[in-house]
Amino acid sequence: MSVDITLTINGQRRALTVEPTDTLVSILRDRLGMTGTHKDCCMGICGSCTVLVNDRPVSSCLLLAAQIDGDAVRTVESLESKGSLSPLQEAFLTFGAVQCGYCTPGFLMTATSLLEETPSPSRDEIVEALKGNLCRCTGYKKIIEAVESVANA
Amino acid sequence: MSGCRFTAAKTVAEAVDSLVAAKGDGHIIAGGVALVILMNEKLLQPSWLIDISRIDELKGITVGADRTIRIGAAVTHREVARSSEIAAVYPMLTEMASEIACGRIMNRGTIGGNICLADPQGDPPVAMLALDATFRIAGPGGKREVPARSFFEDLYVTALGEDELLSDIHIPAPVTNTGTAFGKFAARKAMDYSSTISTAVSLVRDPNGGGIAEIGLGLGGCGVTPVWPEKTEAVLRGRKPDDETFAVMRATLADEIEPIGDSLYSADYKRRVAGIILTRTVKMAYQRTEGASQ
Repeated sequence: MSVDITLTINGQRRALTVEPTDTLVSILRDRLGMTGTHKDCCMGICGSCTVLVNDRPVSSCLLLAAQIDGDAVRTVESLESKGSLSPLQEAFLTFGAVQCGYCTPGFLMTATSLLEETPSPSRDEIVEALKGNLCRCTGYKKIIEAVESVANA
Repeated sequence: MSGCRFTAAKTVAEAVDSLVAAKGDGHIIAGGVALVILMNEKLLQPSWLIDISRIDELKGITVGADRTIRIGAAVTHREVARSSEIAAVYPMLTEMASEIACGRIMNRGTIGGNICLADPQGDPPVAMLALDATFRIAGPGGKREVPARSFFEDLYVTALGEDELLSDIHIPAPVTNTGTAFGKFAARKAMDYSSTISTAVSLVRDPNGGGIAEIGLGLGGCGVTPVWPEKTEAVLRGRKPDDETFAVMRATLADEIEPIGDSLYSADYKRRVAGIILTRTVKMAYQRTEGASQ
């Protein structure tokens, strides 16, 4: 059976027909071609697929699209505006917080949510917020510094 | 086409009706943070998903004037962690919920889902055992109540029937001089799943003499289910929380629990760690009782 849902994705309303078992990450990537959200462990462990649903970070690999009819989804593609990167994205470049880049969209969305909720987080609060995101190039120090620089800007 | 049916239930009655109609093939889904892993791993191909994440009856935290607590089954870990009312009554519940996985899992995962999954490493069941909570269960014949201490039957097996679902959790009020604490040992601070040991303690300090008048314990990672260690509780009752007591407690605990060895830690290592973490957690709970010397 198919389920008709409406999602607001990066501010744009989308009417979609999905299977009950379709995950949000598969809809974003495979149906809508929005490949900014990365798919990796598919077990909720790595954080690569983190997107914001109603402004809160969630694992899009563990979220069935059919369950969030009417909700607002924000992906990494929403951070750029008019061809300019967000201050957080710029900071990732400045601090060298990107190596292979696989984990980056997940870190960006998790940190975006943190900074919206807590505009001036302490270093401990940043570490706590990012603890569920894995970087296998082990660039944590630079990622934390990048977020810190925006927090103190 | 997946051939899977989907019901976005609006009431508990509708969810139960769907379970009955599915004749044992229905799967309740709330946050999905456990069930969808099984689907992604192709260990489960559901034929009927019954979504309960938007049922109002399953939402909300209520702390009564008598300090009893009711938590709806579809309340998220984040809501438990951030409830100042819960923190004021049982700090252990706040500690427990704050350390589950990480933020993006806490935002979706529910306390009821975690309890019904009955993973031996799950944290909410451990707290419920220590606090002697009662689970209210909805089924075709109406509601019934099952104590947490008789809910967990075997590996991933609970007292829930195939046409039943957990509706809410009831936690009794603390008596005077109660202290609670939650302890956890994990290799990775976030997202550790396979090898955690967790300990929940709720104890009552005897105002005359300072011994442990009453105690409730719950243990995670110490067997095939969340464990209620009755024998270990019994040796602590009436004793002072001193080194001798803790030595006896650890010896009893080591006999009582049967942790499962895994790729990280052997069963014997987990036995030892459980004793150490439980000692710390009992001390912490005791320090939190009114009038305890720091």
